[in-house]
Amino acid sequence: MSDTQMADKDVLIDIFTRADLIMQSDIKFRKMIGAGQLQIVYYPVRGQEVVSSAMMAAVNQEDYLVTIYRGLHDQLAKGIPSKDLWAEFAGKMAGTCKGKGGPMHITHPETGVMVTTGIVGSGIPIANGLALASQLEKDGKVTVCCFGDGASNIGAFHEGLNMAQVWKLPVIFLCQNNLYSEHTPMAFATSSDTIKQRGEGLGMRSVRVNGNDASEMYAAAKEAVEYARAGNGPTLIEAMTFRFHGHLLGDTGHYIPEAEMEQALKDDPMPILRQQLLDIQVSEADIAAIEAKNKEIIDEAAQFALDAPYPPGDEYRIDVLDVEIAA
Amino acid sequence: MATEIRIPKLGFSMEVGTLAEWLVPDGADVTEGQEIYALENDKSTQEVESPATGKLKIIVSTTGEEYPVGELIGTIE
Repeated sequence: MSDTQMADKDVLIDIFTRADLIMQSDIKFRKMIGAGQLQIVYYPVRGQEVVSSAMMAAVNQEDYLVTIYRGLHDQLAKGIPSKDLWAEFAGKMAGTCKGKGGPMHITHPETGVMVTTGIVGSGIPIANGLALASQLEKDGKVTVCCFGDGASNIGAFHEGLNMAQVWKLPVIFLCQNNLYSEHTPMAFATSSDTIKQRGEGLGMRSVRVNGNDASEMYAAAKEAVEYARAGNGPTLIEAMTFRFHGHLLGDTGHYIPEAEMEQALKDDPMPILRQQLLDIQVSEADIAAIEAKNKEIIDEAAQFALDAPYPPGDEYRIDVLDVEIAA
Repeated sequence: MATEIRIPKLGFSMEVGTLAEWLVPDGADVTEGQEIYALENDKSTQEVESPATGKLKIIVSTTGEEYPVGELIGTIE
């Protein structure tokens, strides 16, 4: 794992810019929900910023993303504008789904975020469908499908990966292995030692990387994207990471042993990436400017979300079927 | 501008929370991240952190009562 070459300076700055936006957004969401200013269910992403930032830095805006309800990091890394995202999280008309999707169903085709699902593992067959469309239309797009370690125990994972491999679909299965599926430690409910083994069992190109290392994660992502675009088929990336907060806000994470959490916090990918930038001669002032700009974007988006109106009552008839339901 | 402190939604189906105890008195200077009150819901009791640094103004001082999610219980000025 450690012999990966450092990614280019511009790439690392790009990954840091995305990851810092995610980290600051997560902190702000937890603060506002904790103070009751936003009343939503929230699945914290602190600790997993670098995995998705490095992955999305390796694809284009036109490429597709299918993710799951712990998806804030994936959605922001893919490029959803913060104002649209915050408004949707808050259930407001100005959101990506007119406030009718909410945090569990963030969808924004303009940036390739095709769907966020609320059922663990359910995104995998959907990602196959998008990738099959790309294959048939020869549009050159790849689909990234994000899920956690727990999803690999779901039937759809095994069926979906098998099918993707048989049809050599241009899809990247990004398993963000944070070692806990909801409140259950991986070893308690997962028969294999790694998720990578499961991909190999299905004959798929499978890699296991330190997802918290920007260069290593980016190299794996780039290779998988090139492999898929060249028509060779899918890759399963098992990206090792950790989440620093409970399954959802309000869950104190008491089931995570103290020593394990302590070690994970020591390995926090964010200060490590920041230090890497300093080491390659990115100035403190330049880094601070990125952080200040992100803060400004988030503060503006949060206020916008608070002030925006909820969808009017008759919206329930619209966007459900192809045609508007009669009043 | 004052920062509002409202009963937070800390569970998938949480609709009410019990204000168990204020951990700091009315008018106290608090810092962001400091635990300022204890909240009980159907599953657990947890200490809630101050969203800002400033002077705490307690609006709801009666503890041991249930309040709906979103109820304004104090501000930080």
